Amino acid sequence: MDTLLLARLQFATTTSIHFLFVVVTLGLVTLLVGMQTAWVLTGNPKWERLTRYWGQLYVINYVLGIATGIVMEFQFGLNWSGLSRYVGNVFGAPLAIETLVAFFLESTFLGMWIFGWHRLGKGVHLALLWGVAITAYASAFWIMVANSWLQNPVGYEVRDGIAHLTDFGALLTNPSLGMAFGHVVSAALLVGGMLMAAVSAGHLIRRTADFALFRTSLRIGLVTAALAITMVQGFGFAQFGPVGSVQPTKFGGDSLESQALIAEWTTRFGPGDYTPPVLASVGLGFMILIGFTLGCVWLLLPLLFRDWIIRLRFPLWLILLALPLPFIAVILGWISREVGRQPWVAYGLLPTEQAVSPVSAPLMLASLIGFSLLLGTLAVTNWVLLARHARRGAADPALGRPPAPPSEPAHPEPALI
Amino acid sequence: MDLAWYALLGLFFASYLVLAGYDYGVGLLLARGGGPAGRREALTALGPFFLGNEVWLVAAMGILFGAFPLLEGELLAGCYPVVVGALVGVILVTVGVQLRSRPSHERIRARWDRVVVIGSALAALGWGALLAALLQGVPLEADGHVAGVTHLATPFAAAAGLAMVTLVAVHGATFLTLRLPAEAAATVGRTARRLVPVALTAVALATVVGLLSARVRDAVQRPAVAVLLPVLLVTALLAAGAALTRRRPGWALVATGAALALPVVLVGAALWPYVLVSTTDPGASLLVADAAASAPTLRLLGWVALPLLPALLGFQAMCWWVFRGRTDGRAPVYW
Repeated sequence: MDTLLLARLQFATTTSIHFLFVVVTLGLVTLLVGMQTAWVLTGNPKWERLTRYWGQLYVINYVLGIATGIVMEFQFGLNWSGLSRYVGNVFGAPLAIETLVAFFLESTFLGMWIFGWHRLGKGVHLALLWGVAITAYASAFWIMVANSWLQNPVGYEVRDGIAHLTDFGALLTNPSLGMAFGHVVSAALLVGGMLMAAVSAGHLIRRTADFALFRTSLRIGLVTAALAITMVQGFGFAQFGPVGSVQPTKFGGDSLESQALIAEWTTRFGPGDYTPPVLASVGLGFMILIGFTLGCVWLLLPLLFRDWIIRLRFPLWLILLALPLPFIAVILGWISREVGRQPWVAYGLLPTEQAVSPVSAPLMLASLIGFSLLLGTLAVTNWVLLARHARRGAADPALGRPPAPPSEPAHPEPALI
Repeated sequence: MDLAWYALLGLFFASYLVLAGYDYGVGLLLARGGGPAGRREALTALGPFFLGNEVWLVAAMGILFGAFPLLEGELLAGCYPVVVGALVGVILVTVGVQLRSRPSHERIRARWDRVVVIGSALAALGWGALLAALLQGVPLEADGHVAGVTHLATPFAAAAGLAMVTLVAVHGATFLTLRLPAEAAATVGRTARRLVPVALTAVALATVVGLLSARVRDAVQRPAVAVLLPVLLVTALLAAGAALTRRRPGWALVATGAALALPVVLVGAALWPYVLVSTTDPGASLLVADAAASAPTLRLLGWVALPLLPALLGFQAMCWWVFRGRTDGRAPVYW
């Protein structure tokens, strides 16, 4: 096994785990914003309970999103030092902006939101959640700017073998960015909606307490999923045009454009295999299949009338069993986008083999095994905890639990000095 | 421009060590006994600040990648095992602290707390050793790559790692002295005072080993600054000890915080104008100016960072203000 393959496997593993958590984060936070806003506007305690229950699941899920995200950020330097050496001037900028503009604030806001129940004013507390959601979307945007640059490098010039930034605006108008960002964000909404609908369906099947609560979240989840799947399909198919024009080899090397491009690369970089592994197209095919299957969510919407969906029961089972589908689809979609970029790390500019760090294979293997075991174990533990808390119901989530009655003065004394 | 970004990188990494330093310190102190109630108390004191502390690391890494791409690759890949050690520590702490209260069995919570203890130790060891690796130079070859990772296995790196563990432990104990309810604070205050001499010993040991190391002597560009580092560290620790004795935990925390920020600032200053000093080929040493991204990138990032910094600091300050004061029965509990 060579270092390159091991480094690629490690990145694929970390990214896949990361992606499974961040789509849930992005999808759920959007729905949470709606619920908490409804609570503040109407004062109906039902919305507070919904916010606490789904908020707790959101917060548990968030943990692994951060943990895997930090590992990914370090991996660029650890395993892909050539990436920072040759294209860091351009590729590094959106990543740096992401950490400063988005993640820094997102996590700071979230910390205050988690601990701010019963301590901050309702308006401030709601504003914090809005802040979390807005910065989460900003985060997704800047990551997609960086990723789109790898798919289709723009706005740079090469001097002495190193890429320098010439036009940052070009990164933002990159043809491989717009539709892909829409696609990813709608996919996150789809995952969030499906998760909400499936967990609610589980409670309604078991006829647990809080019928009214889970009836509401089932409806919210289903409607969100239906709207989102349509957007996912729209943005997905809209990508074929731009991707086909800027990355002709992504869908195989048969088209005329691909062959012209491969001929050009062969003269510039020497002979080699410039078509991506078949895995990319297979992933794409299955993802589209799942996308069409999930489109059937629309067929369930009429059953919301007079709660037929709950009375018939079998639709609830369908929703519950369909929960893995959107997760599988996002991973397949990601594989098709990233594997389809091979053998380039920055398409047509930097071959993947030049980007890998000059680290010995045994060290890379140890790191691969170590991080895969660590993150894999943590991910499974996290899902078990999520499932348990989802199952436990909305009786008394730890998030937003009112403090014990005051036995001491309510105003803490300032302790500095 | 390069210097400004280098200073900003230092500011973010130093802030990370100061703020997450007490996370790791509190994490280490989970091992001191006191039962489930004692650990609950310590984590409640930490609670609201935890998420806002580790973001400084992520932002520092973002600045490192955006403004110093060349350094990012060579530093991280060249110090692979140490960085991975610190990283695993950071992951274990972040996951352990946030998930430990989700299971309801005390036995499982105690297991998670052990994960936090191990993670805190790893993170502190790793960052201490990384700073030592900078100070002792790396085998940077003429092709711009660091050769191998065996250059890390030195007594100095080990001593610096251990010193960092003791520094975060003092820092964490001081933080708890400031945050816990008065009775509990008195107990942990005694722990903090007892830890001060331990940290002094560890710093002295690292200093002696460093002075004896020919690599450190060769790599350091400004010996006066390098000598200032242990002197100021000892001063800060003595000040922290004195403040703790006079029951001024606020000032003690300022002093232990300074002890965590100083190594970053002084390692950077002692190596200036270099950032990576080569032990094998003096001509291959990496200047800060050469490690920095090219001018258009720095200009762009400058326009982003300049208006943003007040907002970042402002929201952090809001968090500290909202949750100021000692914890009591009404303190919000989540993890």
